[in-house]
Amino acid sequence: MVRSAAAGRDGVRADLEQVFRACYPRIVGVAARVLGSRVEAEDVAQEVFLAFGRSSVPAGQAVGWLSVAAAHTALNQVRSRRRRAAREQFAGDPQAVSPDVADAVVTRDERRQVRVALARLPRRQAVALLLRHSGLSYAEVAAALDLSPGSVGTTVRRAESALRKELNRHASSD
Amino acid sequence: MRHPTDGTLRRLLDEPAGVADADREHVAHCPVCLSALAAAQQDATIVAAALAGPPDVDVDAGWQRLSGTVGDTGRRRTPAAPRARRWRAALRSPVVAAVAVLALVGGAGAAAAGNWLQIFHTERIAPVTIAQADLVALPDLSAYGDVEMTEPADVRQVADAAEAQRISGLTLPRVDQLPRGVTGEPTFQVGDRTSAVFTFSVEKAARTAAAAGEPLPEPPAGLDGSQFRLSAGPGVAAVWAAERGVPNLIVARMAAPTAYSSGIEFSTALDYLLSLPGLPENVASQLRNFTGDGTTLPLPVNARYLTATTADVHGTPATVLTSRDGVLAGVVWVDDATVTAVAGPLSADEVLSVARGLRWDR
Repeated sequence: MVRSAAAGRDGVRADLEQVFRACYPRIVGVAARVLGSRVEAEDVAQEVFLAFGRSSVPAGQAVGWLSVAAAHTALNQVRSRRRRAAREQFAGDPQAVSPDVADAVVTRDERRQVRVALARLPRRQAVALLLRHSGLSYAEVAAALDLSPGSVGTTVRRAESALRKELNRHASSD
Repeated sequence: MRHPTDGTLRRLLDEPAGVADADREHVAHCPVCLSALAAAQQDATIVAAALAGPPDVDVDAGWQRLSGTVGDTGRRRTPAAPRARRWRAALRSPVVAAVAVLALVGGAGAAAAGNWLQIFHTERIAPVTIAQADLVALPDLSAYGDVEMTEPADVRQVADAAEAQRISGLTLPRVDQLPRGVTGEPTFQVGDRTSAVFTFSVEKAARTAAAAGEPLPEPPAGLDGSQFRLSAGPGVAAVWAAERGVPNLIVARMAAPTAYSSGIEFSTALDYLLSLPGLPENVASQLRNFTGDGTTLPLPVNARYLTATTADVHGTPATVLTSRDGVLAGVVWVDDATVTAVAGPLSADEVLSVARGLRWDR
């Protein structure tokens, strides 16, 4: 086996802790924007840092790489969860809702709508949107997604317009 | 004047300094654009609310958990995917393989270091060894002012070598003998000249320094608001692709990077920038050695991944970069204000052999 040049002891890159401490909250934030749950977002962040630790991604590209990986992983989870939810619904397993938790249900429903709407966007738009709203600059988003800086605004604008329409559509159909 | 694009209007909301003055001026007096800007603002606000709420995160607990997992699985084989992705990401835009060599593995943190360094009338290239920790610490130029891309590279594939040469104005040499394992005909790509304007902001620099817990050194008179225009290209590349689109060999040329200053002397500004808190002192001192005549492009070399050696290509000094895992090599040199590079998943001997065997009589 050829070990990665970046690998230290145990095959894990030596700068993992430094990068982790600098980037972890932001990466959890990227996933949380998709999943709406801190616990699930941390699971995603742990997974992508583990992959990063075994990679030789240049440190200067770490934030972009980790953010893109977190966005994709979280969006994939939404997709697979929708499939599972569809199966459960088909099997006749509706969630019982009691009136006293109505508020919580509304919040949960809004989050679900955001997730569904995000998952419907073209993947590149969704990821650009998440990166931008997670605080990455236009230049950072451009570098992470291999876009020209000029087209980041266009991509984000299209994503926001589409997401707003999706959210409106759900709101008006409720 | 044409209306700025929706993308430009969107950026105006987030990074107004990143939008050209002419566009800003237009929008301020155009009812159509103001209406579109309001719509963009509304959508952005709704989406920001829908995506809001980055949670409080316990970094220490997170690190404990990851350390545990790493310890448990530490002896598993390193997955190939991230590495393959790195290669693909690095090689996908092979215009300017010269820059590719920079970005390839230099880790140059392309965005960060690239902005700092492509600021000369390049006549030579000299590798600067930067340790992993320094790369992490290397501050983004945007921490000290506003960076605006004024001309995008617009990398695109063209039909053949003749068209590539016509568009770029650069001669693309033929490869006399392809290395073993590289076969077929190349595809050709061109990129336009790309340039960016950096406007120094004392206020931003002070904020960055404060974040680093250090005072901002007294800036030289006239620095605040000074503009520096950085440009490189056009560029042209011949790419021999392997399966899955990862190139086996790239031969590329690019008009060498240059920099212009609209305010104070560039060297004065650079000296000051190099003295700012945040830039590792050993990197700063290495870079200072190159600023004397402003003709040597320091090529940041991540010592963790790359080794740099010197060679010559028909009498011209060249820098040879090889990845420590032995997978990648590239050779880059500057001649007559043009950077030429040969790179690929090859050995140093192979890229040098290609470089020395280039035929310029196309």
